[in-house]
Amino acid sequence: MNQHVKNVTPESTDLSRRSFLVGTAATGLVLGYAGVPGVGEALAAAPANFEPSVWYAISPDGLVTVTCGKADMGQHIASTMAQIVCEELGAKWSDMRVNLASNDPKFNDPVLGAQITGGSWSTMMNFEAMSRAGAAGRMALTEAAAAAMGLPPYFKDQLVVRDSMISHPKSKKQMSFAEVVKSGKATKTFTPDELKAIKLKTPDQYTMIGVSVPQLDIPSKTNGTAKYGIDVMIPGMAYGAIVTPPVRFGATVKSVDDADAKKVPGFIKAVILDDKTQTTSGWVVAVAGTYANAKKAAQALKIAYDGGPNAKLSSQSLLDEAKRLQGLDDSGQFFVKDGDPAAALGTAAKVLEAEYTTSINIHAPMEPMNATAEFKGDILHIYSGNQFATRSGAIAAGAAGIDPKFVVMHQMWLGGGFGRRLDADMMVPAVQAAKAVGKPVKVIYTRENDMTMDFSRPLTYQKVKAGVDGDGKLVALSHDVVSAWPTARWGIPDFLTPSVDKKGPLDSFTVNGADFFYTVPNHHVRAIKNEMAHNATPSGQLRSVAPGWTFWAVESMIDEIAAATGKDPAQFRISLLDGAGKNDGGAQRLRNTLLAAMGLAGYGTKKLPKGEGMGVACVSSQERATASWTACVAHVAVAPSGEVTVKKLTVATDVGTEVHPDNIRAQVEGAALWGLSLALYEKATLKDGGIEQTNFDSYRPLRMSQVPEVAVAVIANGEKATGVGEPAVTVVAPAIGNAIFNASGARVRGLPITAEAVKEAMKA
Amino acid sequence: MPTLTINGRSMSVDAANDTPLLWAIREQLQMTGTKFGCGAGLCGACTVHVNGEAVRSCQTMVGDVAGKKITTIEGLSAKGDHPLQKAWIAEQVPQCGYCQSGQIMQAASLLAKNSNPTKEEVVAHMDGNLCRCMTYSRIQKAIMRAATEMRTASAAGNERRPT
Repeated sequence: MNQHVKNVTPESTDLSRRSFLVGTAATGLVLGYAGVPGVGEALAAAPANFEPSVWYAISPDGLVTVTCGKADMGQHIASTMAQIVCEELGAKWSDMRVNLASNDPKFNDPVLGAQITGGSWSTMMNFEAMSRAGAAGRMALTEAAAAAMGLPPYFKDQLVVRDSMISHPKSKKQMSFAEVVKSGKATKTFTPDELKAIKLKTPDQYTMIGVSVPQLDIPSKTNGTAKYGIDVMIPGMAYGAIVTPPVRFGATVKSVDDADAKKVPGFIKAVILDDKTQTTSGWVVAVAGTYANAKKAAQALKIAYDGGPNAKLSSQSLLDEAKRLQGLDDSGQFFVKDGDPAAALGTAAKVLEAEYTTSINIHAPMEPMNATAEFKGDILHIYSGNQFATRSGAIAAGAAGIDPKFVVMHQMWLGGGFGRRLDADMMVPAVQAAKAVGKPVKVIYTRENDMTMDFSRPLTYQKVKAGVDGDGKLVALSHDVVSAWPTARWGIPDFLTPSVDKKGPLDSFTVNGADFFYTVPNHHVRAIKNEMAHNATPSGQLRSVAPGWTFWAVESMIDEIAAATGKDPAQFRISLLDGAGKNDGGAQRLRNTLLAAMGLAGYGTKKLPKGEGMGVACVSSQERATASWTACVAHVAVAPSGEVTVKKLTVATDVGTEVHPDNIRAQVEGAALWGLSLALYEKATLKDGGIEQTNFDSYRPLRMSQVPEVAVAVIANGEKATGVGEPAVTVVAPAIGNAIFNASGARVRGLPITAEAVKEAMKA
Repeated sequence: MPTLTINGRSMSVDAANDTPLLWAIREQLQMTGTKFGCGAGLCGACTVHVNGEAVRSCQTMVGDVAGKKITTIEGLSAKGDHPLQKAWIAEQVPQCGYCQSGQIMQAASLLAKNSNPTKEEVVAHMDGNLCRCMTYSRIQKAIMRAATEMRTASAAGNERRPT
């Protein structure tokens, strides 16, 4: 019986209205939330198959397996979820295991109501629910142990739970979790109110949170046994290699000549995709018995295309269109509309105006996109590492022409995500090829497919105007952001944001960050959709999303204002972070973080040699409501040729509560190096409607020889845990740009920063 | 049918001589620890050893390695306990982990010849291996840790090069 079909009946996704059940199944103890009021009813309803939303299970040998509904793409989120459960449960870390969830709605995020991984949201949004789940399990086990030890129920508070052992110090009795599970006596139902009333540990009682336990997934990633989507093997499966058109989006296939492909051994069929989900356009899959032969057959296909409406477009066309749209008074919608910048600019003592750009960027995770599709009875099984099972399952269903409830997504470890695997394009060729040839098919993109068909970080154009009064105070900031709208592409209204001027929803994932924590009395942010770019370069969410470009503009402009008014850029920021009004709390945390970075970097404490400089930036990535507080001091050397050498990056970040200190450092360092890579090395361009870069020779992420010294300071001040995977990406580019200015007087306003641009700006 | 000697075992593969070794290993022999990354020798994810040398298996054809000794991540050590693998765990190197088989195989070929590399030697040897999660500094630390362990383990330390 397919449980996924069974379980799609609408259940409340709001966990505060659901009971928490602890019960015994054939496999051991299962614990989780349920849509039914109590365990008795659940057992009565399905006595042979009691399965609440199993968040974790304890087997008779005492192993605790936590099911993680989050995609694990290297942020070790599965291990982190296990760690949060483990803290309250009182289990021994070596007893913990993780399991990756399917797309069953019962594994949906408790806050988001869907299975989606991004935004550095996972820890902050799951911490509470996972903690309560762990605590409820401990209470059920403890009560059962007390009964088995012959202690009256009120003695249960005298029991000590530690390292998967429940002991009663007075009577020296003890029972392991395994023994309690085997007893079959641990059964308990928590009503929503009871669950809410559980007193969680206070930070001073933590024994697991804040400890850098060994990540559960790491050993398998050192010996080749970790299974990624590309490693899936299904008996009897064939392989698909895709042929993608020269145009990123909008092309159609006119004809396919497979005469030469038929000469390739094991060639089965060339399948022209009929993609009603509009995820792909003009794709053909060559199916063969092996991938090597599928690729040969793909190369042998002679395909004629109609290039479609975008076939003549280039990066320059997208930029020209962005500038045209920005120049129109009625373009876009307002994301922030405080005061009247136009009036304030009119009376300002000094007005600054600047344009900032970022290029198209490609995710390029090391594991190229892939998916394996298998039709089995009435169920479509998809095996793929994916960040958005809820939507991807629907796209797979759309490609198959079936109801989404008949799709089971089997989650795998992700060989890098960075937002790329929020998309589901890889499902379409796998599904349609499997359907066409009547066997399971694994489709693997070549790196060239992967790069040219990326749902890229969009090309962005931003215009910022700032006004300063006679006292040098920043009184007005007007900020226009023009880009493709990645999230609007999803067609899910809940992920869009109402505009302040009530002109309909906007994609806040193009402007987040522009609603900063500086106090500026007259502040407008306008989100303008570049429809041409939106159609020609369907964009996606790339690690850190909008703050990756909005802070490039904001933090560069703040520096430009400081320079124009003769102020130290760090002190100028501190004066703007006064915590007035809506900025109270956040502004002070950001100020403190900036001070920490300055202190660690020795900012202003020593005279640097000629041609060297330090630059600062501070950011409240990701969204205002989910911010963590991150600051960077970049130390660079600029040669007369314009060549930039980054000598050191110092990053400070306020994460509230540290769940896993070592992982936070790993994530922050990786994010900072992503920031460096995007700032100096990664650039994609559009020509004749197609992405020009096809592999790692022309698109060049950071390599080991380009890694500077990175110092990381983590501030854990006891506030709630924030996300750490993305914010440091966004702070590095402006810090480097500002450092270049301090080192050489060259102000650069386009990413990536090139030696030519720096040299050109030196003359200006 | 070509016969390959992989991880000490002789295995015949149903693949033409011009098939990249990578796909023969992954599909025919179902050893999936060796990864496909770029298909062009630009990223190092597919690194294996042929007669002890690190090579890109996506650029090595099956017909060219018949009779040669091939080692993959699965065969680097009996129990996943090569000093590099232990060091990778001790330094908690992997994030997504996808490139790490290739990184470890690339590093192993360095340490087999030079168990006391300088930082510059490590960087020069590893620069062809991309890590998109950017775990580079931990990779360096792990290589140095493994090198130390290998030197300590080999004899009484009299093999150390002057530093």
